[in-house]
Amino acid sequence: MTGTTRPDDQRVVITGMGAITPVGNTLAETWEALQSGRSGAGRITLLDPSPWDCQIAAELKGFEPGRFLHVKELRRMSVSSQLAVIAADQAIEDSHLDLDREDRDRVGVLLGSAGGSSLEETERAVRQLMAESGRRLTPNQVLRLWPNMPSYFVAERHRLRGHNATICTACAASTQAIGEAAEVIRRGAAEVMITGGTESIVSETVLAGFLAMRALATSYNQDPQRAMRPFDAAREGFIPAQGAAILILESLDHARQRGRTPCAEILGYGVSNDAFHMIAPDPLGSGATLAMERALASSGISADSVDYINAHAASTPLGDLAETRAIKSVFGERSYQIPINSTKSMIGHMMGATGAVEAAVCTMTIQHGIIHPTINYEVPDPECDLDYVPNCARKATVQVALSNSFGLGGQNACLVLSKVERE
Amino acid sequence: MSPESGERTRVVVSGMGVITPIGSDLEAFWQALLAGRSGVRRITQFDAEDLPCQIAGEVPEARRMARASQMALAAAQAAVSDAKLGLPLANPERVAVYFGTAIGGFDRAVEGVEILRAKGYAHVNPFYLPSAIPNMPAFHVTQHFGALGANCTITTACATGTQTVGEASLAIRHGRADIVIAGGTEALIRDFTIGGFASMRALPVSFNDQPDQASRPFDAKREGFVFSEGAACLVLERLDSALARGAHIYAEVAGIGTSSDAFHIAAPDPSAAGAIRTMAWALQDAQLAPDDVDYINAHGTSTPANDAVETLAIKRLFGERAYNIPVSSTKSMLGHAMGASGAIEAVVCALTIDRGMIHPTINYDYPDPVCDLDYVPNQPRKANVRVAISNSFGLGGQNACLVMRAANRFETKRGDHGDGRVEAGLG
Repeated sequence: MTGTTRPDDQRVVITGMGAITPVGNTLAETWEALQSGRSGAGRITLLDPSPWDCQIAAELKGFEPGRFLHVKELRRMSVSSQLAVIAADQAIEDSHLDLDREDRDRVGVLLGSAGGSSLEETERAVRQLMAESGRRLTPNQVLRLWPNMPSYFVAERHRLRGHNATICTACAASTQAIGEAAEVIRRGAAEVMITGGTESIVSETVLAGFLAMRALATSYNQDPQRAMRPFDAAREGFIPAQGAAILILESLDHARQRGRTPCAEILGYGVSNDAFHMIAPDPLGSGATLAMERALASSGISADSVDYINAHAASTPLGDLAETRAIKSVFGERSYQIPINSTKSMIGHMMGATGAVEAAVCTMTIQHGIIHPTINYEVPDPECDLDYVPNCARKATVQVALSNSFGLGGQNACLVLSKVERE
Repeated sequence: MSPESGERTRVVVSGMGVITPIGSDLEAFWQALLAGRSGVRRITQFDAEDLPCQIAGEVPEARRMARASQMALAAAQAAVSDAKLGLPLANPERVAVYFGTAIGGFDRAVEGVEILRAKGYAHVNPFYLPSAIPNMPAFHVTQHFGALGANCTITTACATGTQTVGEASLAIRHGRADIVIAGGTEALIRDFTIGGFASMRALPVSFNDQPDQASRPFDAKREGFVFSEGAACLVLERLDSALARGAHIYAEVAGIGTSSDAFHIAAPDPSAAGAIRTMAWALQDAQLAPDDVDYINAHGTSTPANDAVETLAIKRLFGERAYNIPVSSTKSMLGHAMGASGAIEAVVCALTIDRGMIHPTINYDYPDPVCDLDYVPNQPRKANVRVAISNSFGLGGQNACLVMRAANRFETKRGDHGDGRVEAGLG
């Protein structure tokens, strides 16, 4: 089945979006910052950074969950859950969806995250237990640990009783969640899906873990905004970040019936696993290649139709190279003509949530005809020689965008989005 | 070959493996279930003296990767070997891995924090963080078998295993894979998880000296669930390919339903609406009616709230017939292995269909007037089960229900031995 021959009840469109990122507490602010190449990186404030080799992160700025959530709710929710709920509120508002007119049994929630809050909440719990040498946690502490809680809180807040799931495929999680959410609609298991991702990974254990893996940038503590430099020869690794993005999906039929113009269409998606290494990507990018090929096949389009690639591009030496190779093997000679950018160059790496932010970015790119830059691209790497839209935004007509997400444990996911033609 | 065009691709179970407190060999596990043997003991993984609940269903042995990953890989090896899939895989790009876990490598997450706090971050192992995240069990299985197909880790608390097996069957039904290695794994037995759930009053505290009597689903003296651990894996494949290669077919995975209660983070909706719609949707997906159901593998956690609400849900959906459907709880013997339970219970349903035996709900001694169905108390029972459903309900209002049936249900001519089995090569 191809994108163009699917009946309208099988065509899944995005009709609303919300985002909270290190460069903006809404999607509009985020998009504005991304176009102007503004980085969200800075010295870590959530913990004392001085003992660490990496002292920088892309933290949220001026984000006050207390403005949106009751103090009792804040206590029940991990940061990931708070972000998901608030971004979902934004997305629902943006979609003009009147949930009172929907059958709530047919509205589902499917979010992605790498571990949800479980790493930071485990850290908090163990730290408390070690300090107090006790073994009692409050029920709220135990419940905040579970990775499925962001999906629960979104469902609870809006009494959404339909399909509900959380996909945890590391850094590919929310790209995969969005692809699966579209499938849930296509197979008729829901009318509307609230999907996306959430993550907050600025914590001591996450820093310790990624530093042990040598995955973080450590030479830019005095110059945080230059640390994320995807495809640049001096790239060293990523910096941790926090954020969430939520998309509202429904069938084209359903959107038309309620008179809503879609933002973009989800044509298809593909997933694969490198089956290679827990941490390192397959240097040939063969798993990434498979994911992109499967995404194109499920979309019913050829590689020639792709106008723009939002790369995974986490600024790691191996990852950016493997992705460049994978793009070349899928797109051949044409890869040099396709603009490719890295949203992470500005927002850092929020693991499971980044894919959702990038899907929102692809949608904005399609809608506004502007490709945001990859910032900090200064020293060309001879092996990374594609068009990374260096440092300056660019006008372009984008009909079809492809978004890559690759993660720890060899996870690969790729989503294809397109403009919805008006008839 | 495939059924006539217009019919959908049918998905069957052709191999299974389990790692559980009562046995890590499929046959030994099944015999222990039929015999009603409890796997609940006093905790050995740490000193539990000062905890209100000192018992759990522990799996003997394990090391190297995170405990959840070890058990996942061991279960997958057993399942792939049981399915007699040749290795290396003939068409690895069409073999997917779907493995769920509610939390993942929790032991490694805790160990990482402890090392960080005690010795400083330079001592933290590079594998700490990846070992701790939920997708690593799936990765280890994927890497071991070189399975290059789709790959997914679903995390829906206690509904994880059921939802994962269901989604895996959909991947085959919708043509995204030919074979899926699907399962669930969990290893969460820690002092503070037990302490935490005890403070939620979710665990039994009166049975520290009779551990094997602590998990007593539907019994009037039930107090809560017993923490457990384990893993199970099922090899799912297309019916036609299983028949073509002469595989033993345990059962068909016929349908899946999932929903959210959207009601309370830890308590089930007392109206049972979530459980009812989930079972109804699963049967609808399987193109079956409630009247077709011969056996229910209950979520049956042994908490006062769950067992009452689940009983109510069964009565509401099945009406008067509810009293004639055998309902049993695997957790009466294994305890609650969170994200693994649903996968273990899918294995149990497949064996129930394959062997024509229903395992008992043990420790059913004192009838509870609100739980008045046929729970197959204390003794196994012979039964010709053509359609079984398996319920899983989890923290965060997660609901999932899986429908399994005898693979030959609608085939009367070939391969039907009249006992729920399709024999090798007869397709």
